[in-house]
Amino acid sequence: MKHVKTLNTKRLQNTLKKGGCAVGNQTCEQSK
Amino acid sequence: MVHQFKNNGYNILLDVNSGAIHVVDDVVYDVVLLWESLSQKEILDKLRDRYQEEELSEAIEEVASLVDGGELFTKDEYKDYVMDFKKRPTVVKALCLHIAHDCNLACKYCFAEEGEYHGRRALMSFEVGKAALDFLIENSGSRRNLEVDFFGGEPTLNFQVVKDLVAYGREQEKIHNKNFRFTLTTNGVLLNEEIMEFANKEMANVVLSIDGRKEVNDYMRPFPGGAGSYDVIIPKFQKFAESRNQKNYYVRGTFTHHNLDFSKDVLHLADLGFQQISVEPVVAEETESYAIKEEDLPRLLKEYDILAAEMAKRREQGNPFTFFHFMIDLEGGPCVAKRLSGCGSGTEYLAVTPWGDLYPCHQFVGKEDFCMGNVKTGIVRTDIQDEFKSCNVYAKEKCRECFARFYCSGGCAANSYNFHGDIHSAYSIGCEMEKKRVECAIMLKAAEAFSDSEVK
Repeated sequence: MKHVKTLNTKRLQNTLKKGGCAVGNQTCEQSK
Repeated sequence: MVHQFKNNGYNILLDVNSGAIHVVDDVVYDVVLLWESLSQKEILDKLRDRYQEEELSEAIEEVASLVDGGELFTKDEYKDYVMDFKKRPTVVKALCLHIAHDCNLACKYCFAEEGEYHGRRALMSFEVGKAALDFLIENSGSRRNLEVDFFGGEPTLNFQVVKDLVAYGREQEKIHNKNFRFTLTTNGVLLNEEIMEFANKEMANVVLSIDGRKEVNDYMRPFPGGAGSYDVIIPKFQKFAESRNQKNYYVRGTFTHHNLDFSKDVLHLADLGFQQISVEPVVAEETESYAIKEEDLPRLLKEYDILAAEMAKRREQGNPFTFFHFMIDLEGGPCVAKRLSGCGSGTEYLAVTPWGDLYPCHQFVGKEDFCMGNVKTGIVRTDIQDEFKSCNVYAKEKCRECFARFYCSGGCAANSYNFHGDIHSAYSIGCEMEKKRVECAIMLKAAEAFSDSEVK
């Protein structure tokens, strides 16, 4: 794309099936 | 829902329900602003005097492609899902052991009131601590990784019990196939070689309390006699951080109404060589002179921007540091279920008093209505547990439509209770700061990815 740069590939809707771990900076145990 | 904002020269689109983040040029930014209210032809007509027709058409095409790909204006389909998720059985994952309800400092903002938590001074006995670890093992189901925070008050006032409990935990983890992750929070006054060596061997994380500049720290964190603590703790903390190779620790401060220019405190700590830093807003009754007030917000939000811009600059110069509230994981972050269900207090995480009483988290300790049971009897107030279990983003009116809900997870139940008398609300001043922090964290990711990009 010429006008858009996307920073990430993770999509929350794709975690519905497999999901359900001084939240935003937490790393999912499955993705480690 | 799309949240769009400009920060440090970047145009950023956050597609809230998919988590997709796009850095865009001005033309796409303006097209997206109009996307839901006008047709594509109307957008073209409206922006024609500002942009060339060709680039406008390209921008509209790219936005349409993102929408079709589920990366922009994605619908929220999670409400029923999270309600089902909350019905699942939970296990206890973590305990906060109040190893000492006593302290050798007299910090003015301490919610523990010199460590006493609205009660009496006390040290946890080994027997109570042992029963707490047994309770955790017994209530953790098949989960292997368990966390135990040594907290206070000041835990080093009862350090022999800390050591004995770690030894007991290491013994038990072999028997029960568990893995304990111990952490320690300390004000540093009693830190010595022995404690550092032990912590470096056994503590997965240590939190070192200091507020920043000497005058700021010493005003809020004096000894009971009034003398400041900065000069006592700084050399110890520097040595401790180095001995941990600048990893697995935080220097952790609190900013108040008296240092609204807190970015200077963060940078002061960075200039002292600390690389893992957290400086967080005080949460206090409005009547306290040091409390953050609504009128402080514009200044504080600007401070976060100043800090984020400076961090981007230092990173570029090869001199980065980590700021806890600007950390964000865009690729490996948790699933929707975790993001919407909150921190785990009252269900997966419990605080234990020196007497073994169980509370939803350390900030509820001393509020007798929230005592859930005891490590010896187990949880007897399952109604409290159920109330915390039902506490999720969709149960909070203020959070349902907030762009930050997948990064904040509904905020802190204790703050909500302290300000609204209800754990199902949200502390508004905290919300505004959290939203700004999420924006800054995303901007820093953009700066990292696009430091030499033409998109900025």
